[in-house]
Amino acid sequence: MSARRAAIAARALLVLLAACAAPAFAIDPAPPFADPVLEQRYDRITHELRCLQCTGENIADTSAMFAQDLRRQVREMISTGRSDGEIRDYMVDRYGEVILLRPKWSARTALLWLLPALLLVGGVVVGRRIVKQRGELLASDDEPVPPR
Amino acid sequence: MKLNRFVLPLAGFLVIAVVLGTSLTQNPQKGLTVTSALLGKPAPQFALPSVTDPSKTVASADFKGRWYLVNIWGTWCAECRIEHPVLLDIKREGRVPIVGLNYKDPDQELSRAWLAELGDPFTATAADPEGRAAIDWGVYGAPETFLVNPDGIVVHKRVGALTAEQWQREFLPLVDGKAKS
Repeated sequence: MSARRAAIAARALLVLLAACAAPAFAIDPAPPFADPVLEQRYDRITHELRCLQCTGENIADTSAMFAQDLRRQVREMISTGRSDGEIRDYMVDRYGEVILLRPKWSARTALLWLLPALLLVGGVVVGRRIVKQRGELLASDDEPVPPR
Repeated sequence: MKLNRFVLPLAGFLVIAVVLGTSLTQNPQKGLTVTSALLGKPAPQFALPSVTDPSKTVASADFKGRWYLVNIWGTWCAECRIEHPVLLDIKREGRVPIVGLNYKDPDQELSRAWLAELGDPFTATAADPEGRAAIDWGVYGAPETFLVNPDGIVVHKRVGALTAEQWQREFLPLVDGKAKS
């Protein structure tokens, strides 16, 4: 590739990347907390509460009316010194467990939490068995594999 | 060994088939439309200005000791318009008073015009322009309808436009004591 073509390609790539960059929209118009620690807590809590009006979104990433109201509620509760646990409990009391994007560990959610690990272990066991069986087949095979 | 090769995959298949099969018969929306964290719990209290007469207060305590419905509505809510005739029928029936909770209407003038145009099915309508009372009720949209018993316990809930059939089949039997919540 000539230097000129490389330069053109580089420019084209730059334009393409610029086009891919999503514009940043201000979803949450409220000013941030002056205290970065509070802002961080606000950020974390709103990312872990489900927007029930939406599908599969948290209340931090949508401008839906429901999310706006809950963000205001979270903001006020943080300002009045309520703990993260108190805010979560407040939401669960009113909306049920479904409001939490990260379900609490309980007898009901145990399967949900353990399933990925169980599936992984199951997959490893089955995979090892298959590998072992194939290995035994090869070892017992004294005939050369016929060409296809 | 030979048993495992057939029985294990078959067992796995059966487990998945049963799980998916039973899921098919369930309404995926049911978890959200009928259940509520409030069911079986005391109805949240509110005391808010009345939409029809802002000098008055509408309080949930006014309805203590009797069956009542709480209906969440707003003029911005298209489904509420669809639901409205059903609410008017419930009012005509006269069995259970309906308390309106006007959800996030910034202009009460509009709410009053809406009631004047379509008819007012509500014994009283509380204005909740900021949606604060609605959070206490676990509301995430409109319309939503709650049934509260004389002990002040929420016994039933519907999200979305209430139908005459739901009223007859789900709500009235509870009021008549013919069904358990």
